[in-house]
Amino acid sequence: MEKAVRIQPDLQFVKDLQEVGGEALKRCYQCATCSVVCPISPAENPYPRKEMVWAQWGLKDRLVNDIDIWLCHNCGTCSDMCPRGAKPGDLLSALRNMAYRNLVEPVAIGKWMSSSSYLPILAGIPALLYLFIWIIRASQLGSFFPLFTWDEHAHAFVTDPNGVVVYGGLFPGDFTIDPIFGLVALLVAFVFFRGVVKLFKSFETLPKTFVVAGAPKPTWIEAVKGVILDEVATHVKWKKCGYSTAADEQKFKGHFILFYGFIALAIVTSIVAVSHWGGKVVSFIAPLGHTPMELWNPVKVLANVGALMLLYGLTQLTKRRLNQDPTKQGSSFYDWYLLGVIWFIALTGIFAELLRLANVPVLAYPIYYFHLICVFMLFAYLPWSKLGHLVYRTAALVYARRLGRVAVEPKEIKIFKL
Amino acid sequence: MSSQSILVVGGGFSGISAALEAAEVGHEVFIVEKTAFLGGRVAQLNKYFPKLCPPSCGLEIQFQRIRNNKLVKVFTLAEVVGISGSAGNYQVKIRIKPRHVNPGSADLSGLAASLSKDLPNDFDFGLGSRKALHMDMPFAFPNRYVLDKDACSPEDLKKLGACEVVNLDDADKEITLDVGAVVLATGWKPYDVTKLTNLGAGNIPNCITNMQMERLAAAFGPTKGAIVRPSDGAAPKSVAFVQCAGSRDENHLNYCSYICCMASLKQAAYVRERHPEARITIFYIDLRTPGRYDNFAKKILSDPKIKIVKGKVAAAVEDPGTGNVVLTVENAVSGLKSDETFELAVLATGMQPSLAGEKLPFDVAVDEMGFVIGGDEKGIHAAGCAKIPLDVMKSAQSATGAALKAIQTVIGR
Repeated sequence: MEKAVRIQPDLQFVKDLQEVGGEALKRCYQCATCSVVCPISPAENPYPRKEMVWAQWGLKDRLVNDIDIWLCHNCGTCSDMCPRGAKPGDLLSALRNMAYRNLVEPVAIGKWMSSSSYLPILAGIPALLYLFIWIIRASQLGSFFPLFTWDEHAHAFVTDPNGVVVYGGLFPGDFTIDPIFGLVALLVAFVFFRGVVKLFKSFETLPKTFVVAGAPKPTWIEAVKGVILDEVATHVKWKKCGYSTAADEQKFKGHFILFYGFIALAIVTSIVAVSHWGGKVVSFIAPLGHTPMELWNPVKVLANVGALMLLYGLTQLTKRRLNQDPTKQGSSFYDWYLLGVIWFIALTGIFAELLRLANVPVLAYPIYYFHLICVFMLFAYLPWSKLGHLVYRTAALVYARRLGRVAVEPKEIKIFKL
Repeated sequence: MSSQSILVVGGGFSGISAALEAAEVGHEVFIVEKTAFLGGRVAQLNKYFPKLCPPSCGLEIQFQRIRNNKLVKVFTLAEVVGISGSAGNYQVKIRIKPRHVNPGSADLSGLAASLSKDLPNDFDFGLGSRKALHMDMPFAFPNRYVLDKDACSPEDLKKLGACEVVNLDDADKEITLDVGAVVLATGWKPYDVTKLTNLGAGNIPNCITNMQMERLAAAFGPTKGAIVRPSDGAAPKSVAFVQCAGSRDENHLNYCSYICCMASLKQAAYVRERHPEARITIFYIDLRTPGRYDNFAKKILSDPKIKIVKGKVAAAVEDPGTGNVVLTVENAVSGLKSDETFELAVLATGMQPSLAGEKLPFDVAVDEMGFVIGGDEKGIHAAGCAKIPLDVMKSAQSATGAALKAIQTVIGR
């Protein structure tokens, strides 16, 4: 007989789980409906039944090393079909939330990101930072709501009471935007690197391979390519997760459009940043990134299309969350924080643009200020937010693909042998 | 004017038992049965617990007791349509549908067989067909045919009109009964399989329900007792039992129906008896074998050809070429999710109270599932599966209890 293993349940862990959204898990009676109805759960040790029993038993070590929480795309089929209303889908969401909270240091940010009571800190940091900058600039320019004209001679914006709203005049990119966000980006990238290393280390407890003997094991490059092209770019799993109800459609379209809206905005930001900073070396590309742009400028068109895509995606995803049957699926603070912050970014961004065009400085600058706060709140805390799935899920999917832990279409029908 | 009589609604095992208990101590009892024959769900079984007797065994004794007791009055094809009054003094309005066959035990099997139209047999849960003139079981009570006049062709009606015991002019009747107390023994119906969309919703011919299995196994069933696949009549070499098909499930029946695990074990024994080569797998969440039933379970499960797998079947589809049933299940012990193919699958659907979704003429409280939870204070006493899912033995006990309460209601005035 094997050596008896003493199970060390972690009750605090169960309570934490319930706090981050897994509150119904105790109702599970292990019928395994969930793992069967999940359209993308693999055949061997499928999720989420095993996660439900681990969670009930407080087996923290199993759950924090579980790759499967990242394979789930939260379609909610398991929770819909659950005979007990135990919401296995919510448990996996809660486990992901827990990972956002605890995976990387400083865990203080993870804690702040876990509850609405810390919102003043989260918003306060960028609010104070940019208020400080605003006050300094106001003292330099002589106004909190300055108007500018372009001085060809000085090759800069100069204040002019008959001029127009120029955000780059009040908050010069070179000194107040790019260095701060550049630093934030570097820190976030570093934190993500540590997070992924930690994640991969936690996966080492998994079997070395799920690939059936003889089947080729994908290389890392193939796995990355597969995940990016076959999954992320096409959102194919989202459709596989079920595409029959209005909610499924809202979820797929919402995320898909939102995702490509962000891609559009990322392209715009990259063009502006590369041509601006690159323009300091190769001067002829500099005008490409010169802001504010004319509305007909293709880059500006892309930016505006991106903003509208955000609005459309947000509307779909928010509708879905608002119409959820609370007995089947719930939404946590993580869900609403992300949706809320992106809503604020999109709305403040669009209004900042409109108010700039309307040249209403007393409204335009405060709105732009709020826009900066929201953008900071999205990017600076990214590894501890739900948006962290952008990196963690992608990394886990690559790892899973390399292991061969993928949902396989049934090739042969097995028969019980007695 | 208070009445010493008792009304029993429902002529199944509970209703018959309650009626006899009250009548045999001297109370006039009226049994009102919706269908054409007494016996209820028990009559549809092949064998029933605890002794695994055929239904004729227990029911024929009860029918004999009814015949011997003038105080029991039976109305079949009858329904309660209204009630007024209070405990001790109720006026109950009963509507009786026409039987179209005169009293007497005339053997009309020849005439029935000569009719042209075949109708789906609801007594056999659609597995077989019957004629418009029919008797559902050989030991039927009343032992008198019933005619479904609306389902007859003009030629058939002509033929039937020529028969002296057939009365085509028989019409709806309404009567009023004075009673002091009521026993609600309205029983149960099998959970509607069409709601189990992930388990084929009744559209897979070889994926039958446990009650259909009883009919297949019954000697007077659609196959004369041959357990064969409905699609091709072949003897199944592999049979799966899918436990909790819609039971213990918030989305369907949010409770355990008590006896389905035992029913599947019993049916596994039917299959092993008729097809010794067949292998059987029972997929379950928890195998519930209450009380002494555990001994029966142990006996059945000692059979090496009967295997149990912990894991609820969450998907059933038909393999189009063979008509086999492919079940998807995770074995919760081994943690393997797989598709398993069987030649025949039996869904262990649960008991839904007959009153679920029905508008009750009685002012009694029912829970959200349709089980009666009140009425005692009004002299309306529930018995058997109208109250809670039970086996036959416990239904009879519950009926005795309800009869005693009804007697107390009518005597205590």
